[in-house]
Amino acid sequence: MLRPLLLSCLIAIALASCQKQTQVERANEEGIMLVGNSAEPKALDPQLVTGVIESKIIGALFEGLVADDPESDDAMPPGAAVSWEHNEDMTEWTFQLRPEGRWSDNTPLTAHDFVFAYRRMLTPDLAAPYAEMLYFIDKAEAYNKGEIEDFSEVGVRAIDDFTLALRLREPVPFLPSLTRHYTWFPVPRHVVLQHGDIDDRFTPWSELGNLVGNGPFQLSEWRFHDVIEVTRNPHYWDAENVGLNGIRFFPIENPYTEARAFLAGQLHTTYTLPPDLVDTMAADYPQFLRQEPYVGTTFVRLNNTRPALDDARVRRALSLAIDRELLCEHIFEGYTPARSMTPKMGAYEPEPVLSFDPEKGRELLAEAGYPKGKGFPRYSMLISRPSARASAEALQAMWKEHLNILVDIQNKDWGSYISAQQSLEFDMASAGWIGDYLDPTTFLNMWTEGNGNNNTGWHSDAYEELLDKAALQADPAERYRLLAEAEKILMEERPVLPVSWYARNYLHRPEVKGWHPLLLDNHPWKAIHLEP
Amino acid sequence: MTTTELEKGTSLWHDATLRLKKNHAAMAGVVVLAVIFLACLVLPSIPDLLQDPNAQSLALKNRPPSGEHWFGTDHLGRDIFSRVLYGGRISIAVGIITTAVSVTIGVCWGALAGYAGGRTDDALMRVVDILYALPFLIIVILLGKAIEPWTVDLTNWAVDLFAGKEASVSRQNETRTWVEPITTLVPLFIAIGALSWLTVSRIVRAQVQNVAKQDFIEAARSLGLGHARILFRHILPNALGPIIVYTTLTIPGIMLFEATLSFLGLGVKPPNSSWGILIEEGANRMASNPWLLFFPSLFFASTLFALNFLGDGLRDALDPKSSKD
Repeated sequence: MLRPLLLSCLIAIALASCQKQTQVERANEEGIMLVGNSAEPKALDPQLVTGVIESKIIGALFEGLVADDPESDDAMPPGAAVSWEHNEDMTEWTFQLRPEGRWSDNTPLTAHDFVFAYRRMLTPDLAAPYAEMLYFIDKAEAYNKGEIEDFSEVGVRAIDDFTLALRLREPVPFLPSLTRHYTWFPVPRHVVLQHGDIDDRFTPWSELGNLVGNGPFQLSEWRFHDVIEVTRNPHYWDAENVGLNGIRFFPIENPYTEARAFLAGQLHTTYTLPPDLVDTMAADYPQFLRQEPYVGTTFVRLNNTRPALDDARVRRALSLAIDRELLCEHIFEGYTPARSMTPKMGAYEPEPVLSFDPEKGRELLAEAGYPKGKGFPRYSMLISRPSARASAEALQAMWKEHLNILVDIQNKDWGSYISAQQSLEFDMASAGWIGDYLDPTTFLNMWTEGNGNNNTGWHSDAYEELLDKAALQADPAERYRLLAEAEKILMEERPVLPVSWYARNYLHRPEVKGWHPLLLDNHPWKAIHLEP
Repeated sequence: MTTTELEKGTSLWHDATLRLKKNHAAMAGVVVLAVIFLACLVLPSIPDLLQDPNAQSLALKNRPPSGEHWFGTDHLGRDIFSRVLYGGRISIAVGIITTAVSVTIGVCWGALAGYAGGRTDDALMRVVDILYALPFLIIVILLGKAIEPWTVDLTNWAVDLFAGKEASVSRQNETRTWVEPITTLVPLFIAIGALSWLTVSRIVRAQVQNVAKQDFIEAARSLGLGHARILFRHILPNALGPIIVYTTLTIPGIMLFEATLSFLGLGVKPPNSSWGILIEEGANRMASNPWLLFFPSLFFASTLFALNFLGDGLRDALDPKSSKD
């Protein structure tokens, strides 16, 4: 019995050693890029998701009015629109769509698809969590909140099949940049309505076999918790300039596993790299390591409706006990200590208010009725991946040491981690936010009442008033001043505790061409090709 | 005066001990187990001997083994030596308590089914079949979640008990540090214990059925012995071999299962450690800091080997059919 077993083992080993070609090498020959993508996406319907994970795949399947540029965050190459113009105060915009635009099922892509998409996104019953991205459109907020019922009042109009007119509620100089976000993407009216009504959530329209997009790639394989594969879309207007034959997205949740998979030749690029591996990689694999600036903030989201956490003094005390320098030096390798919510962005610089002062923290805590942490409720902090455990444990230790407050750590998978926060069924959560466009409002607008990404239960009239005032301000310097003032209120109240400003650490193979450092990290898939 | 005495009979346990002592592998297992168990149970109880397993000093992170930190430090600068010992406490407690719960239920259930036979047997074994059909992990999670709210009260009660109600916050927190890892595991003990006895019960039932048919049981019956005496005195000792082997294999299995559950957020809560968690953390960083994986694995693997050797030895020693010598 043993001998045949031994023999077959030997044969297997022999075969395995003959097969020297790694998955990456095989993929290079096939022109397919292998991408680590952290987690199984919640959905592929661009109007129902909020994550970065989903945006990577959606960016391959759909395209907005304006496309991403491979080399610059500021360049605005044409996407579904060929050209656009605006009036003097930037409140009226007209986008000229390309007449040859097609959906991946060869149906023409028209301005009506965009109108339908924005209407669906704003339909109150769809409850799109990211609907506020469209609030820049005049009356969009009122329609989304059910205050008006006639969509024709909202500032979206198809002048003809290929002309889309937008009337905004305020001057938005960064509108082209905004339309590159997936919330502004078109959805195929003919497919969505075939599988359900305009207000039906999670219908099969965005599943494998049904999903129709207008991007450079189309969905060809979706194995749950295994791989999502997209292949060339022959009907894409710029199909001849698409450099890859396909992309495979692997939902590898454990970043340590992901790093091992990369080094074993299974991935072209990783979603992230655990900060504690940065030093090793810098020493052993400098050709793969990439460290780039990234517009994002890691923070602790607090449920402001919980006892104790509903007191701004307690929230400030928790924040004062966080030693951000220490964290960034030892755990968030390459990150910078957060001084406010919004990272420095162009000319915008918020007041650096966050500091480490445990003594002051203890005073505030005592003032709030919890001297030396006595009687403080036992809360737990949600994390969504094992690599977040280190920083969570460090925060846990700091709160225990400086404030004598005990906090638990609870791991949840990505889907339930998001749901728990959206339904306010959590105490604290270790979270992060990546800018959607290059303007401070991408970090500030979400902390308003009813916003699908607020999830803190906190809102402030004074704060929202300042944001509204800033929105109507055409002078950029004055606008930034108003936004900074709003941010000051946010930091005074501190519904969330910013911890660090992101840097993007990841592993990347040199044969991937057309991939350049970008602040928002939105690499247009169509510009990438492989040169082994 | 001389009397004629009957040669004194030796008990099963006496024979077994003698046989076990001659089995070197098993005795080595006993020694290793004793050393590890004593280290994990006694050393952390001696005040100021070990460093606080959860105390972080980020400036001293990722240090290889040295005189100050025998097993090195992890990514948060925590002392691995004391984490391995404190974690061992939890792993051993989970392994032993849960296995005891499951083996006790399983043996009673299986013995009853096998001995009673007929409709009782059918009824009891159908229950086992039904429980087998349920997905183990999901049921453990549901059961654990259902019991979980009580653990908060249990912890508070235990803290008051050990620290005193009027104790200062820091004294209470200190007590909490060692009480809590154990009390929060109670749902785990109950949930795993309550569901992992199924295989034991089947093994025991088959053994009991087998033994119950033999002549010496008939003899015991005809002597008028009660059912309980026949079952526990005559049948079960003859079925002990497989039970013991199974038990020694269950303990490491459950230790591993604890690691799975801890990762899902049900078992040991961070920052507390268990061998399973330490191995998981170490495996993630094995390329850069191999000592993080090596030491917890060494303890875990030694325990597993020792248990297997001991189990093997016990099976041979406890076999009533083996020759007396």
